[in-house]
Amino acid sequence: METVLSITGLTKNFGRLCAVNNLNLEVKAGQVFGMLGPNGSGKTTTLGMLMGVINPSSGDYSWFGQSPNHQVRKKIGAVLEHPIFYPYLTGQKNLELNAMVKECPTENIPRVLELVELYDRRDDKYKTYSLGMKQRLAIASALLNEPTVLILDEPTNGLDPMGIAEIRELIKKIAANGKTIILASHLLDEVQKVCTHFAVLKKGNMVHSGPVNEVGRGAETVEVNADIANLNEILLKFSGTSSVNRENGCFQVTLRDEFHGQDLNKFLFDQGIVANHLVTKKKTLEKMFLEILSDTN
Amino acid sequence: MLHLLQIDLKKLTSYRTFWIVCGLYFLTIGFSTASGMEFLKWLANTFDRFGSSLNIDRIPLYHFPDVWLNLVWWSGFFKVLLGIMTVISITNEYTYRTIRQNVIDGLSRWEFLFSKILTNLLLSLVSVVLIFFIAMVTGFIYTPDINWNYVFTDIEFYPAYFLEIFTFLSYALMLGILVQRSGLTIILLLLSYMLEAIVKANIDDYVPGLIPFFPMESITALVPIPFYRYAFQEIQDYVDPAAVAIALGWAVLFNYFSFLKLKRSDL
Repeated sequence: METVLSITGLTKNFGRLCAVNNLNLEVKAGQVFGMLGPNGSGKTTTLGMLMGVINPSSGDYSWFGQSPNHQVRKKIGAVLEHPIFYPYLTGQKNLELNAMVKECPTENIPRVLELVELYDRRDDKYKTYSLGMKQRLAIASALLNEPTVLILDEPTNGLDPMGIAEIRELIKKIAANGKTIILASHLLDEVQKVCTHFAVLKKGNMVHSGPVNEVGRGAETVEVNADIANLNEILLKFSGTSSVNRENGCFQVTLRDEFHGQDLNKFLFDQGIVANHLVTKKKTLEKMFLEILSDTN
Repeated sequence: MLHLLQIDLKKLTSYRTFWIVCGLYFLTIGFSTASGMEFLKWLANTFDRFGSSLNIDRIPLYHFPDVWLNLVWWSGFFKVLLGIMTVISITNEYTYRTIRQNVIDGLSRWEFLFSKILTNLLLSLVSVVLIFFIAMVTGFIYTPDINWNYVFTDIEFYPAYFLEIFTFLSYALMLGILVQRSGLTIILLLLSYMLEAIVKANIDDYVPGLIPFFPMESITALVPIPFYRYAFQEIQDYVDPAAVAIALGWAVLFNYFSFLKLKRSDL
């Protein structure tokens, strides 16, 4: 697969503070890449360096195999942090200006405005827009030049639940067209739902990177309940059990590697017990994220 | 290049403050330069003794070739209004953070700066053309007997006037990029002449040779005060090449400093 972005040893110091430390990363075409990390972990600084607004202290990066330059940036659609537009211009005029900067045709403007449902408000000044509308205009502007790579930094910040769902659908739709998306977020649920790969930053260091579908792997947890008094003891007899906890009126059985929910089910059945509740719980990204962050302390 | 100018004009032409400030500027220089004779007539009518002691028709304010220098010298005072417009234009980009978005969207930092410089060039050019036409028209109206040998004499003050405005606007642009806050920048811009005057007064006794090299001094020296010729008969009716060289040097330096600052800073 074609490499869209490759980063080697990227570092940024603000005085004594090291915002990004020796970052190495590759993003391939078609990936939806999630960048995770707590506030102040260096996500936006990294994206700022990739988009040429922050000068790296050291290290290199390349887009599409070329060393960075402003022509390459025209092929990327990016929204960093907050939506930024001229408040005294209308939505339409702001996009016209963006099209001039990106040197792309203005014919796309009605289409992207329709896509983010701002077409009816296009002749209103930007400063009259609500936060959600500003966010959506920013996404419209990022899509204006039909970019092959889209960078979104906290795109659902400040949106209502409906807006969040809409943006999530939008991202999925864009990703389905084969576009590469880099998504910085601290909403883990969001990343798990839309991303294919992810990396975790902590205090400027990359502490994890890998595909999202690997998150579920590793030890399984099974939630069990049955109408039987000594279920706890029986569960402990199962050779695959590593530990048992009682939680919310159910037993949380953590299994050893190589054992799965079906093995436990079979074991209980062989003991003459029929479970009335048995759920295999996949590890969520949230849980993994918190584990990764606490591991590196 | 035209593309970059269009980008900056697109930002400005929908901005009401731009039209107000530029409107005020062009109306002020237009009307004040065109109405000098009317003003003298008004003085003569209002104060009885003014007219009798001085025959206003003999003041060659608008006679070729004096009119060229007289008008550019006078309109040069109002360039500070244009300077304020330049400051607003650049500091807005910092307040709204649109400079950051422009770079993200694919302008290089140099292209961004160059789009501002091009607007400065355009505003300087419009000033020159406006004053040129007013001088031409008023010259033909008020010059009693037109001698074609004199009509286009001293016209070299127009390129000098252009350089005067452009250097000043380059200074305003640099100040805006360095300070980034509109209020503070405008105060500094207005105080520049005074601050420089204080420094000049202090070094006058020790190194007077340095004085022509000061930036505001060099801008002022491009178009000399014309009225000495009426008082002392002594005229500098040419543009001093040294003054041009110094002012041109400053114009290049101001824009270069802007570029350096822009290149090194995190937006």
